[in-house]
Amino acid sequence: MATTTSTASGGTAVRRPVPPSPSAGPGARPRRQGGTVLAVPALVWYLVFMVGPLVAIFVVAALHWPGMLQPVSFAGFDNARTVFADPVFWEAVRNTAVQLAVAVPVMVVCAYMVGYYVAQRPPGHRVIRYLLFIPGLISTPAKAMVFYAALSPDGLLNGGLKAVGLGSLSDAWLASPSTALACLIALDIWAGIGFTAVLFAARLGSVPEELGEAAQLDGAGHWRAMWRIHFPVIRDYVGVVTMLQFLWTLFGSAQHVLLLTQGGPGSSSTTLSFLVYQKAFIAADLGYSQTVGVLLFLVGLVGLLAIRRAFRQNH
Amino acid sequence: MNSPSRTRARSRFGRSWLPAHILVWLYAVLLVIPLYYFVASAFKSNDEIFAHPFALPSSFSFHNFSTAFTSADLGLAVVNSALVTVFSLALTLLLAIPAAFALARSTGRLASAVEKVFSLGFLIPTFAALFPTFLLAAATGLFHTRIFMVLFLPATAMPLSVVILVQFMRTIPKEMEEAARLDGASTFAVLRHVYTPMCLPGIATVLLLNFLTFWNEYLYSLVIVGPDPAQRTVQVALPTLKAITGTDYGVLTAGTVLTLVPVWVVYTVLQKRMQQALVSGAVKM
Repeated sequence: MATTTSTASGGTAVRRPVPPSPSAGPGARPRRQGGTVLAVPALVWYLVFMVGPLVAIFVVAALHWPGMLQPVSFAGFDNARTVFADPVFWEAVRNTAVQLAVAVPVMVVCAYMVGYYVAQRPPGHRVIRYLLFIPGLISTPAKAMVFYAALSPDGLLNGGLKAVGLGSLSDAWLASPSTALACLIALDIWAGIGFTAVLFAARLGSVPEELGEAAQLDGAGHWRAMWRIHFPVIRDYVGVVTMLQFLWTLFGSAQHVLLLTQGGPGSSSTTLSFLVYQKAFIAADLGYSQTVGVLLFLVGLVGLLAIRRAFRQNH
Repeated sequence: MNSPSRTRARSRFGRSWLPAHILVWLYAVLLVIPLYYFVASAFKSNDEIFAHPFALPSSFSFHNFSTAFTSADLGLAVVNSALVTVFSLALTLLLAIPAAFALARSTGRLASAVEKVFSLGFLIPTFAALFPTFLLAAATGLFHTRIFMVLFLPATAMPLSVVILVQFMRTIPKEMEEAARLDGASTFAVLRHVYTPMCLPGIATVLLLNFLTFWNEYLYSLVIVGPDPAQRTVQVALPTLKAITGTDYGVLTAGTVLTLVPVWVVYTVLQKRMQQALVSGAVKM
């Protein structure tokens, strides 16, 4: 930390008679010089633009609202009934479940191992660290462009397959119902491991080195040291990162789906968060969209609590 | 770290590490190949790309870049993105610094409640609130403008920014403020001349984190700013290249490379700082 010791350099030179310091006695009233008022603008901003819309999700979910300029009426639980009766919704549930079940564990486990590797500072770790962070810098549209160029029928992957004589394996990856969802998951994992590994490496860097050395003297191999010694120490942090990845995957997938497959072919790559977007801005069924939004919010909340429980330090 | 531990470290990597070396470098290659392909393709024609996907470009002409620039109005989009990012960052600091200052100094019950409200913001999935935010934009008459984004983005950044800054401000000893008070400094002067300069590392962290998210923001920009070339940001303009150019990969990749440049420059210059920033962002959540 750069400690700049500027004691009110621009303050007035006039020394007033010293007022009794308000924080002097323990019984004195709390220091209230220019108190909490300064937090009000930020709080208002945050309530208007974040909490307001969040509350509105629940309101709109209870409305029958078949389009932006259509008359609105109260629907109660009608929307929920429509949603639960819709096969597309259930397909989206399935796709989201697959996505979460594959992407999050693979990402967290691989990222932890890569992070551990980097934190041991092997030769070239600086280069690796620089490279790992790259996906964290790239915007969603740019990532989608990368994958589009790689996976389109005459893209990088098919070109590579042809070059090594496996042309028969080439496919229209993003346009085929059996691979579209897998491509989206691959994108998540590709981008997620590196970035998450940097987070783990930083946290592991602050674990005392003696710990690993002691384990080595006891004859623990690196595999054991990684999972039995270091993992328990940063267990809490793994939990936090898992929660983040869970939320990013759950809510963030709409953008990748929108950019790469539009939920298709059919609804084979429609995820829940894309369904919210699609129903609101393409199908203009606002009650439906926000009902799914409410469900998504609840899934997020339940997932967070479950992950927190699973990673709680139980000693 | 210190050199003795480093020499010891080197001897640690015996043969059993070989699979780890191979796997990690393999992943690094997987990260780099698409990017290399991108940068190389930006200088090639379609025929060249398909015939020799991995070859170095035969000429370094900026033809594709200029095509991307003009056909998708990328120049204007870069300006729009820069405007939105800079003004949003300024507003974020303007709101978050005084708020963090107030919360860090006060011990009252109200202040700790406010702090809790801010940290609960991490649980709000901003994405789920996309449609209500759209309604808000329409209701305020700011739909399809960059102005709404400048007002909106700082709100999304508030929880993280306030929480990080409060942590930094708590480390400032009380005596610093008391000394300033004795010199007759007002609350505002204390904020300006004591807390802000001493929190510069925290402010830099907040700036970097938010720079990344603001510059890269996509879905909200798409829905709220919309497709009008005069207003849209670079992230919204970029995907339109796919439709405009058909399958001219050269132009497509050139456009993408252009949008990466600002982030790249910042990253390469501030590499360490940026990783720290992201890590501390995630730790505090």
